[in-house]
Amino acid sequence: MRRLSRFGYAALGLLAAAVWAFPVYWMVATAFKPGRDMYSATPQLVPLHPTGQNFSSVLGDETFWQAAGNTLLATVLTVVLAMIVAFGAAVAVARFRFGGRRSFLLGILIMKMVPSIALVIPIFLTLTEIQEASLGTLQLTDAVPGLVIAYLAFALPFAVWALRGFVMGVPPELEEAAMIDGCSQVQAFWRVTLPLIVPGLVATSIFTMILAWNEYLITYFLISSPEQYTLPLWLTHFVTTEGASFGPLMAGATIIATPVAIFFMFVQRNLARGLTAGAVRG
Amino acid sequence: MSILDEPAVAQPLRAPGSAPVSRRPRPRLPYLLILPAIVVLVAVIGFPLIRVVILSFQEWGLAQIFSDASPPFVGLDNYSRILSDPVFWTVVVRTLVLTAIMVSVSMVVGVGLALLMERVPAWVRGCITFSLVMAWAVPTFVSTQIFAWMTEQNFGILNYVLGLGQHNWYTDSRQGLTVATLIVVWGAVPFISITTYAALTQVPAELVEAARLDGAGGRQVFFGVTLPSIRPVLVIVTALSVIWDFSVFNQIWILRNGAPSPDYQTLAIYAYTQAYQGHEYGYASAVAVVTVLLLLAVMVFYIRQLVQIGDAE
Repeated sequence: MRRLSRFGYAALGLLAAAVWAFPVYWMVATAFKPGRDMYSATPQLVPLHPTGQNFSSVLGDETFWQAAGNTLLATVLTVVLAMIVAFGAAVAVARFRFGGRRSFLLGILIMKMVPSIALVIPIFLTLTEIQEASLGTLQLTDAVPGLVIAYLAFALPFAVWALRGFVMGVPPELEEAAMIDGCSQVQAFWRVTLPLIVPGLVATSIFTMILAWNEYLITYFLISSPEQYTLPLWLTHFVTTEGASFGPLMAGATIIATPVAIFFMFVQRNLARGLTAGAVRG
Repeated sequence: MSILDEPAVAQPLRAPGSAPVSRRPRPRLPYLLILPAIVVLVAVIGFPLIRVVILSFQEWGLAQIFSDASPPFVGLDNYSRILSDPVFWTVVVRTLVLTAIMVSVSMVVGVGLALLMERVPAWVRGCITFSLVMAWAVPTFVSTQIFAWMTEQNFGILNYVLGLGQHNWYTDSRQGLTVATLIVVWGAVPFISITTYAALTQVPAELVEAARLDGAGGRQVFFGVTLPSIRPVLVIVTALSVIWDFSVFNQIWILRNGAPSPDYQTLAIYAYTQAYQGHEYGYASAVAVVTVLLLLAVMVFYIRQLVQIGDAE
């Protein structure tokens, strides 16, 4: 009886693993199927005539590379700006006690919850007005710079909160010890604390990068011309412009999701902790 | 002590040479460090939030975009239009029902899977964790496309497996929203399960053992020891799920090819459509404000819990 239930649990566990893996498997399997195999009455569980033609049609598509370039630019700019600005704030709230510190943290916590829909309309209108006021010299809507400004709205609160946790993870006693040994305060921070925070800086940058890479709602609102598409927009427009050809669509999805997945698996443990961090410890 | 004032060090990072005067922290440095963040946050969140409230009291449509005159204030017109609009109320009810279903299914499946992970051999647990992390890593705009393909009318694998022939999942919005719910649950369960499992491994073994020695059965141990220990994590995970599912957008929007018909609209999508397609920025802002106010109730609860849990430590 006991043995049976152990076996039952294991079987149920494997079933769950299969259910969660299947959509991802199906995406990759479809991506490798030629058209006639994909559109057959009986779906082939394994691609019987694997082909790379879906992938080459995506990689040979100019608009894909254009979108990849836009995404990369928007993502890198967002991460760099967010990290520069957030780092100072994170050090301040983790290492100093000062008036307004508590309100600032509460503010960050609330800002993390604001849904994008409440921000996208005013951001769009404001960007349009600034652009008009500049008589078109500043291209903000329907362009990467405007996206970066909008992305900071979710990237910055996240980065401040996550970095604060990592800075707090380094005991200040270490720095004090270095100062007793003759380091100046700047040296102590530079030589002792900073190297210990580097993994946290990397992890936070990667999460912020994933957030920006995956952004859809705001981007869809701000971007209208195809030359300015990011990868999420490019992928979803496959359906309408190319008449739902699921082979290239799944190949494109595989290509776009792979770097995200690799980075994500790299730092997922930190993320799991970071999301609930407020609950247990920062 | 609450999480908001964790032991920040009393007097760190003294400027060199200032040692004799110190004993009190120099007040300027932290403000200098925090200033850029405050400036950017005010610009990209604070100002837009104020603006959306102002917009919600204005008439702001296509006419205002192309004219230099400032948009007229119309008082509570947008709000009274919302409240007297039967479509809006259907959307509110749909959003609430959908959120309740999405959150409760995700939580039941997620916590169930976490409990299952405790009871399986290590290699099975490895398989589950791998699948979950992989699913977690898939962006929603990709997972939605995968599910759209799996539920495709003619060649989708779901119809084949269920033997439904050429069933169209999207003519009836209840079925279409069921697919959307599946996408949300599939995407949310990995976070819930892995977080809950991590909490389960932190339940002190001595406590469980002591309860067993005192004659508690499996169920009693679960409700008396396990559940209270993981409660803080469950509360946070539930609150986060409510916040995410309440403003669900991508899964429905992309599933319906960027043009969800009215019977597919939730609050976020309704506001978005009004602004994006109707250029009714004032009215859409009012809907967005109402959305935030409804969400605020949950947020207040979430933040209170965070602060309380921090206090208990």
